Amino acid sequence: MKKIIFILTLCLLMVLVGCNTETPPAAPEPDEQAEPETPEEPEEEPAAEVTILLAAAASLKNCIDKELIPMFAEKHPNITVDATYDSSGKLQAQIEEGADVDVFMSAAMKQMNALNDKGLIKKGTIVELLENKIVLILPIDSLTEIASFEDILKAETIAVGDPESVPAGQYAKESFENLGIWEDVSAKASLGTNVTEVLSWVAAGSADAGVVYATDAASNENVKVVAEAPEGSVSKVIYPIGIIDATTKLEAAQIFTEFLQSEEALSIFEKYGFTAN
Amino acid sequence: MSLEVSIKKKFKGFSLDVNFRTNGEYLGILGASGSGKSLTLKCIAGVETPDEGRIVLNNKVLYDSKKNVNIIPQNRNIGYMFQNYALFPNMTAEENIGVGLKLSKREKKIKTNELMKLFRLEGMSYKYPAQLSGGQQQRVALARIIAYEPDVLLLDEPFSALDSQLKSELHTDFLDLLKLYNGEVLIVTHSKDEVYRFSENLALIEKGTITGFGKTKEIFEKPRTLSEAKMTGCKNISKCIITDNKIYCSDWGIALETKNIPENCNYIGIPSNNFEIVNEEGINTFECKLVNVIEEINEYTIVIENNNGSKTKPIYFNINKEVWDNTKIKDKLHIKINDFYILR
Amino acid sequence: MDWSPMLISLKTASVSIIITFFIGILAAKSVVGMKSDKVRIVIDGLLTLPLVLPPTVLGFFILLILGVKRPLGKFLLDFFSVKIVFSWTATVIAAVVVSFPLMYRSARGAFEQVDKNLIMAGRTLGMSERKIFWRVTMPLALPGIASGGVLAFARALGEFGATAMVAGNIANKTRTLPLAIYAEVAAGNMEGSYGYVAVVVIISFVVLSLMNYFTIKGSKYNNKDELK
Repeated sequence: MKKIIFILTLCLLMVLVGCNTETPPAAPEPDEQAEPETPEEPEEEPAAEVTILLAAAASLKNCIDKELIPMFAEKHPNITVDATYDSSGKLQAQIEEGADVDVFMSAAMKQMNALNDKGLIKKGTIVELLENKIVLILPIDSLTEIASFEDILKAETIAVGDPESVPAGQYAKESFENLGIWEDVSAKASLGTNVTEVLSWVAAGSADAGVVYATDAASNENVKVVAEAPEGSVSKVIYPIGIIDATTKLEAAQIFTEFLQSEEALSIFEKYGFTAN
Repeated sequence: MSLEVSIKKKFKGFSLDVNFRTNGEYLGILGASGSGKSLTLKCIAGVETPDEGRIVLNNKVLYDSKKNVNIIPQNRNIGYMFQNYALFPNMTAEENIGVGLKLSKREKKIKTNELMKLFRLEGMSYKYPAQLSGGQQQRVALARIIAYEPDVLLLDEPFSALDSQLKSELHTDFLDLLKLYNGEVLIVTHSKDEVYRFSENLALIEKGTITGFGKTKEIFEKPRTLSEAKMTGCKNISKCIITDNKIYCSDWGIALETKNIPENCNYIGIPSNNFEIVNEEGINTFECKLVNVIEEINEYTIVIENNNGSKTKPIYFNINKEVWDNTKIKDKLHIKINDFYILR
Repeated sequence: MDWSPMLISLKTASVSIIITFFIGILAAKSVVGMKSDKVRIVIDGLLTLPLVLPPTVLGFFILLILGVKRPLGKFLLDFFSVKIVFSWTATVIAAVVVSFPLMYRSARGAFEQVDKNLIMAGRTLGMSERKIFWRVTMPLALPGIASGGVLAFARALGEFGATAMVAGNIANKTRTLPLAIYAEVAAGNMEGSYGYVAVVVIISFVVLSLMNYFTIKGSKYNNKDELK
């Protein structure tokens, strides 16, 4: 009896191991490298099931998870896209530590450039895909009279991302510095570790005002946008996309990034508050 | 001075149902572990509550389920000595002894000093229980409850926490100290020796009920029931039937004769020193084979069985070492029974 | 190095341990004295819950009660102009909630360890329940309680998840030591955290040593060598 159980367990283990091993991707053909932007004809799909990992900035979570991944799955059912979202700084750190990511989309050029300088991004795969505006938000039922970035000191508590690690925070700091009020703002500021935290604080009413991306404001009905960052006070917020050099699923990664550059995908992005670049 | 107890309480496995009253003399309650004797004391003390019944001490009602009276232990004025003494480890001997006294600080100090002298604890005032010997702890515990002169003393297995080596010496000592107290004492124990030495009256308790009650010496000298015989340590007990004017002991296969056979004769008990080795047959004599010889400190315990072929229970009797060593024929013996108990 | 996170953390932990100490002992005393087993199990479960729930869930519940959009929070804001969330008080509240179960369980364990015969003896000797509690139960339970207090203090010091949610991360006001460490690491600034981490490690070590000391001290009354 014990012997039978032992053999069955062994068989079960072998089946599980077998299911988890992926078929190696087909060797990339040389001309695919030269045109990452718009392929003329559909690429050869890998025949077996492939899963790729996308690491993307937190602000991309809603539109990618809710609409773009399902849309992609319909077109390419054999490619599964797993996604992890967090602040671009943390994702950068994780990729540097060797995380098994295939595609990276950050909320600023800084992190993408940092990885690229270290040779971690496949040459020629970086595309400056989207732009996101920086906006000032208040809790939806707030009566505080704040109508512009300059007015923000009227708020008792201000929520911004930590400029050291959160791009949205970097931009907020940049904007306030250009207005000459950053010192005063940071004295009252609660620093969030990612932009979603900042958004939740304002939505809950715990913070009287906050600075987030236009896309975040659009996603939460408990906040209202009262101003955009003044023209010229802040550099453009660019969302680049790139393929990690160490990827073992290059073909699938390329198919996915190409999809994100398509008209269909871009219109979804715009729906969520982004601007196509 | 008297204590009347009549209580019932459901307990793990059995029901406690006891009824007794004291008459001013010491009462010993003898029973095996788990027979309910400690529980009885705890109900009298008030730290446990019976399901129903009545407890009256010196004409003061401590508990009456019908009238909804249940006086809290603090107000019952009883002295309870726990098996492990329950001395407060964070208080000195002196503080422990004085804890039940409701006097001013000065008066308390005088009284506790006096008690410590009487209980031979001089010099132990500032010692903590952990620093005292077993005997000293026992004296502190006794002093503690005698100090405030309660209406009754309840002693829960006062010697079980001590080495048997000390016990004997301490028994007399303890009895002397008890004399310093003028009230009734209830002592609960599983030791026959203790109950024999300490109490004039005896109650036997088995599985929650009292199966025997009377004067201690009388019960030990002449038990009248199966229960009394068993609990006073009679090792040889057999069922019996009366046939032909003889008492036939079915467990041993022997017939006994006696002058007046009473009506209620259901069992026979033979104490282990009531046997004699004889040379021939006779009344109340039977032939038996030797099963075992157990050497005790001062004597031998001889284990024998009836030699008439059928399977019978063994019988144990004690014999002086010299006498046994001088007995020539040891395998086949004629044993005469000199006296026996007729039990209900 | 900016010392303010450390000062804030110490202030928060100190105030919270005072609160937790009293309510923890009170709760333990009530639970130990409960007659009904069923009720005791339920209440004990509720009081221990914060120990096993993730701190963010605890933060969620605190917000549910004190957030400015919730009845109580709104009431305090409208009538007393008091906003608890994002204030230093909120750090104390978060610290109390997470460290309470530790204090409670230690106190409860300490009370239950006290030999029940001692309590019965006290009663038969005429001691009132109050006198028994202060002269017998508490002195014997104190080492266990102290040990629990030390543990609760350490937990309050290290509290992070719930604090971020209800108190925010405001420099010099609610930025506690754990939040400061997290921010430094998130910014990729490992060097900046060395100082803070060293402080935390030292305090934790001191805490553990104190706990051991109290535990040993607790067996004092049972050990005749200790008493000399």
